[in-house]
Amino acid sequence: MTPRFARILFGVAIACVSASASAALQPGAPDATVIAIPPMTTPDSGTKGNEMLAVAWQATQLIETDLRQTSELMALPSDRKDYYSYPEVTAPTFRKWRDKGAKALITGFVKSRPDGRYTVGCYVYDVDKGRELGRIGFVVAPSDLRRAAHKCSGLAYQSITGSPGMFDTRIAYVAETGAPDARVKRIATMDSDGYNHHYETPGGTIVLTPRLSPNANRLAYVSFQGGVPQVRILDLASGEQRPLIPGGAMTFAPRYSPDGSKIIFSMMLGPNADIYVVGATGGMPQRLTTSPGIDTDPSFSNDGSKIVFESDRSGTQQLYVMNADGSHQRRLTFSAAAYATPEWSPDGKLIAFTWRSGDTRRIGIISPDGTGEKLLTSGPADEMPSWAASSHELIFQRTETYGRPSLYRIALDGSAPRKMTIPQDGSDPDWSGTLD
Amino acid sequence: MRKTLLLLVAAAVIAAPAAAQLRLGPLIPRRPTTAAPPQAQPVPGQSPTDALRADFAAQSGGTTVYFAAGSAQLTPQARTILAAQAMWLRQHPTVPVRVEGYGDPTDTRDHALAMGAERAGEARDYLVLLGVPSVQVSAMTWGKERPGPPSAVTVAP
Repeated sequence: MTPRFARILFGVAIACVSASASAALQPGAPDATVIAIPPMTTPDSGTKGNEMLAVAWQATQLIETDLRQTSELMALPSDRKDYYSYPEVTAPTFRKWRDKGAKALITGFVKSRPDGRYTVGCYVYDVDKGRELGRIGFVVAPSDLRRAAHKCSGLAYQSITGSPGMFDTRIAYVAETGAPDARVKRIATMDSDGYNHHYETPGGTIVLTPRLSPNANRLAYVSFQGGVPQVRILDLASGEQRPLIPGGAMTFAPRYSPDGSKIIFSMMLGPNADIYVVGATGGMPQRLTTSPGIDTDPSFSNDGSKIVFESDRSGTQQLYVMNADGSHQRRLTFSAAAYATPEWSPDGKLIAFTWRSGDTRRIGIISPDGTGEKLLTSGPADEMPSWAASSHELIFQRTETYGRPSLYRIALDGSAPRKMTIPQDGSDPDWSGTLD
Repeated sequence: MRKTLLLLVAAAVIAAPAAAQLRLGPLIPRRPTTAAPPQAQPVPGQSPTDALRADFAAQSGGTTVYFAAGSAQLTPQARTILAAQAMWLRQHPTVPVRVEGYGDPTDTRDHALAMGAERAGEARDYLVLLGVPSVQVSAMTWGKERPGPPSAVTVAP
């Protein structure tokens, strides 16, 4: 089902992005970097050439839409009439774009192939310095043009900000329909731009907290199917499922390790919820916490060496960090409010959490050393933040005043949260890393 | 909803499909008496399961046991109701009962789930402590996944 995606031509040139070039483009500056997106072109001629120009224009529009979603880049409006010749792709007229205020430029081409597929190439430039920042190329089926465009957007984003783009990513969440006392909940997955929306579970049973594996081909989630909540693993390609561990114990709050080899989760034994780790393909669970109370919502650090989790061992929910083997547990938050559902950012620099005081829940961030705590949303009923691959943005669940949950995304730059368009109500979002 | 509630649900010996289960509205609590009959008196127009459920609720002074927010400690009032329920259950040893725990609606999802399980476990353990055979009592949690009715009993046929 997953489209084969052949990367060709230039190999991985993203890594060639130099620090000085990024600095020239003022990454993280309060004002966004202006990027020009002249229409992508084609080396083909005749009828084929016209056909490919139309395809190239689609790709251009997709890239522009992607980049407009970010707070770090400001895309100049593309103009189809602004025809760009094929040689100009590798030799842009920098002066023209400088005059329009652009600091960066992305362009490229789409070329037809005898087998019906397209060759797509993208190039990103530093307009001030007049030099290339990166290039990327693919051979794709026509139906995968969107993914190729997302990859091009990701190249531009990474070249300029230094962080991975979140355009070619998946989102899993719980789709909710029906009356409040008879909610039908289904696990749903979609591309981060809302395309390729699928329901992964039928809806006859309550399901919670879907968590994608790093390459988004598997999903760990909680199902009430067996009477008590239990973690199940779903293979998204085959639809096959299995319980995470055998037996009848209540298990919940699963998350994959960054390399996908392990799953951490909570297991309820008696009045205690403790954190366990088990191989993603099975094996004997290993217990990591032993304190009385509820230890849950564990999340690995980006290098897999540490785990952040919440525990009410002190009386209220607070965040704790421990080594991946359970040793050296230390408390991270010390306030009268409660802190819950932590998730470590993909770049390792921040931990997002749900802040709770009275009946109010808000989304916040804190450094792994316990400094720099900051609340990003005003609530009153926000929870379950999940990081974008860029580590610059979060997706979370907001329960609206009329009691229905929706998905929102918010950038760390202080801009307002934006509601995402999904076919019905949604809760428990999980945002994947950039796909291969 | 400041108070959280725990639902005591009597289920039949034979497990029934969820669709066949029924919900009742709040019932007027009544003090259990030592003269209480061991079996419910059938009421015309009422099914045997409904009658059993109504009798359980009436005899034990309620089906809902409340906790303080964020706590799984049994309150004195909770112990009083559970003690009356235990008495009824010892008189009806063939009627399995299911304890369903609820979390606080303003809690986060996973903590609410665990809190509901902790509360259900506390109530079950107390019933067992008072002499109800452990096989007669099962416990589970809804967390905050279902709006908890103020009082409810379900008895499968």
